[in-house]
Amino acid sequence: MSTANILAFVVFPYIALTVFVVGHAWRYVTDAYAWNARSSEFLDKKGHFFGITLFHYGILLTLLGHAGGLLIPQYVFDAAGISGQAHTQLAYYTGLVFGLAAFVGCLLLLWRRRRRQRIRMTTTTNDYITLAGLAVATGSGIYNVIFGHFYVLDSVAPWIRSILTFSPQPSLMGAVPLSYKIHVLSALALLGFSPFSRLVHIWSAPFMYFFRRPLVFRRKVGSPTL
Amino acid sequence: MKIKAQMAMVLNLDKCIGCHTCSIPCKNVWTNRSGTEYMWFNNVETKPGIGYPRQWENQDMHRGGWILKNGKLALKAGGRAVKAARIFHNPDLPAIDDYYEPWTYDYGHLISSPTQKHQPAIRPRSQITGDAMRIQWGPNWEDDLAGVNKTGRQDVNFRNIEHAVYLTFKRVFLFYLPRLCEHCLNPACVASCPSGALYKREEDGIVLVDQERCRGWRYCVSGCPYKKVYFNWKNGRSEKCLFCYPRTEAGLPTLCARTCVGRIRYVGVILYDADRIQWAAAQPQTQDIYAAHLDVMLDPCDPEVTAAARFQGLSPNVLAAAARSPAYKLIKQWQLALPLHPEFRTLPMVWYIPPLSPVSGAVGDADAFSAIDRMRIPVTYLANLLTAGDELPVRRALQKLAAMRNYMRTQRVGDSAETQPLSDAGLTAGTIQEMYELLAIARRKDRFVIPTSSGAEDAPLYPEQGRCGFAGCSPD
Repeated sequence: MSTANILAFVVFPYIALTVFVVGHAWRYVTDAYAWNARSSEFLDKKGHFFGITLFHYGILLTLLGHAGGLLIPQYVFDAAGISGQAHTQLAYYTGLVFGLAAFVGCLLLLWRRRRRQRIRMTTTTNDYITLAGLAVATGSGIYNVIFGHFYVLDSVAPWIRSILTFSPQPSLMGAVPLSYKIHVLSALALLGFSPFSRLVHIWSAPFMYFFRRPLVFRRKVGSPTL
Repeated sequence: MKIKAQMAMVLNLDKCIGCHTCSIPCKNVWTNRSGTEYMWFNNVETKPGIGYPRQWENQDMHRGGWILKNGKLALKAGGRAVKAARIFHNPDLPAIDDYYEPWTYDYGHLISSPTQKHQPAIRPRSQITGDAMRIQWGPNWEDDLAGVNKTGRQDVNFRNIEHAVYLTFKRVFLFYLPRLCEHCLNPACVASCPSGALYKREEDGIVLVDQERCRGWRYCVSGCPYKKVYFNWKNGRSEKCLFCYPRTEAGLPTLCARTCVGRIRYVGVILYDADRIQWAAAQPQTQDIYAAHLDVMLDPCDPEVTAAARFQGLSPNVLAAAARSPAYKLIKQWQLALPLHPEFRTLPMVWYIPPLSPVSGAVGDADAFSAIDRMRIPVTYLANLLTAGDELPVRRALQKLAAMRNYMRTQRVGDSAETQPLSDAGLTAGTIQEMYELLAIARRKDRFVIPTSSGAEDAPLYPEQGRCGFAGCSPD
């Protein structure tokens, strides 16, 4: 097995994931003030709706699909009566719809960042890196869906599980086409970068809002009473 | 009965001269940073007018505050599921242009300009983009009725009034409305926040945004019907009036109240029954909310109330301040002050004494009640602003103010003291004297009765000096 393969599919993933985990913890502790979405709706409401809605629904459902499809081994699906073929078909159509939504949303947001003067002047380099990373990851993903047609359930999927279970098997990635490798590596790079970007707001998705009481009282001293 | 203490403010609109002095120290201390240029925690509006942000009172447009849904309180903008679905793009969020695009001027150009025939001019530049801009709207654009012939018809307080009549030159009227966060008993911003970052302080009811927990979901901004939570476009968090709590904790009045040249502001503590908040806010008829709101406020001199309050752990200095509270006198005892838009169902705690205005024709001393109908500011307008359209409380308050003026004048000029208007207004000479002292000549210690927060609870504050506050103010 080549050194490049080991670097790309063992060393790099672990570096990216370590930065991902440690970076989030570090950022949450040291930089709680800046831990938010930094929404730009307030500065430009008109150009905001389509891009942001397509992107968010697209990317969230795509992530959900990736989690379900790649992290759960195929034999579990087999046991549930879903063959690899059917699984791939399902992934193809959902990926097409939601991946396309995420990718188009990304492009719209990128366009807005450049074309709306108020947004352009308040965009940071960090924002461009984030958005470009998202565009490459979603773009390569949607390319694979439409043109790739590579069977991932016995290659990429078990490789990801091997990484997460600390028993890396880079050989599984040997025969994977380049476009899939780009997708995987760009997604990992994005994960590594995300603790330092506005993407952290995904971890603050306000699920507790559904359970808390409408009015919040807190004492100045002592623990917050919610 | 769950007794809580609440900081309350009363503004006497009868004395407001619209000088904006209140807004300036507030601006300089709290919102003098990048991202907050457009924010005015305190601003002064001219009424009639659409205000800041544009048409903030029109909840058909902004969808802030509460409504009754099947007899139960619900946020007008929708419940939790609706909010979750729209969290990426909040359709009710006012945008920067609803307030105004903040600007500064090219002052440097005055110095750097080369020698030329004409005097150099300074041009406005946007504080967001830095580009040259045309100023088309500002924070007090309607000052002294500027442009009200155009904007006035969008003022929702003209409900049930022929607004066209009052926008003609001969019949036009104006008064000022200084506005700040209402620190409501039933705050819609707090209920709207998905992160639970907004909260009401248990000790004094001040509503704050926890800057470390705010994730910038923006629902507080649209949820507040008074539009007094602002979005910092630079750092993506919400900020709002903090009732100058670092000052009130030390027993000092808020900056807006302290600097008011007309001495129109009163700050004091009000005790209320927190168990009955939902009941008061959920009155079936919006016109009954005012009376219910009064009803949840407790008499600070009632021994039963004070005993229960002590038992529930309220500190003695808070109770002592509540017993002397000018806000309680003006709001509940004399019922001179009225809430701003009680129909939003948030139970606001910044109240307003309605303004008297010139009477067309001669004033009949004996007939104060009919004089109120001939005042330049239509009572219906004030009622739409302060009592959800119920004219009776406004009439009563104005009648008391008129009777007080009348009585004090007769005292001064030595006419026989006519007591008939007094009993019409339900007042005695003694009450009048007390009202006069508080409204006309009160010293600072009577206008601001603010308990200090007890020092024992506090961590040593000296090392914190200059180090805490909004990000961007601290020296490090």
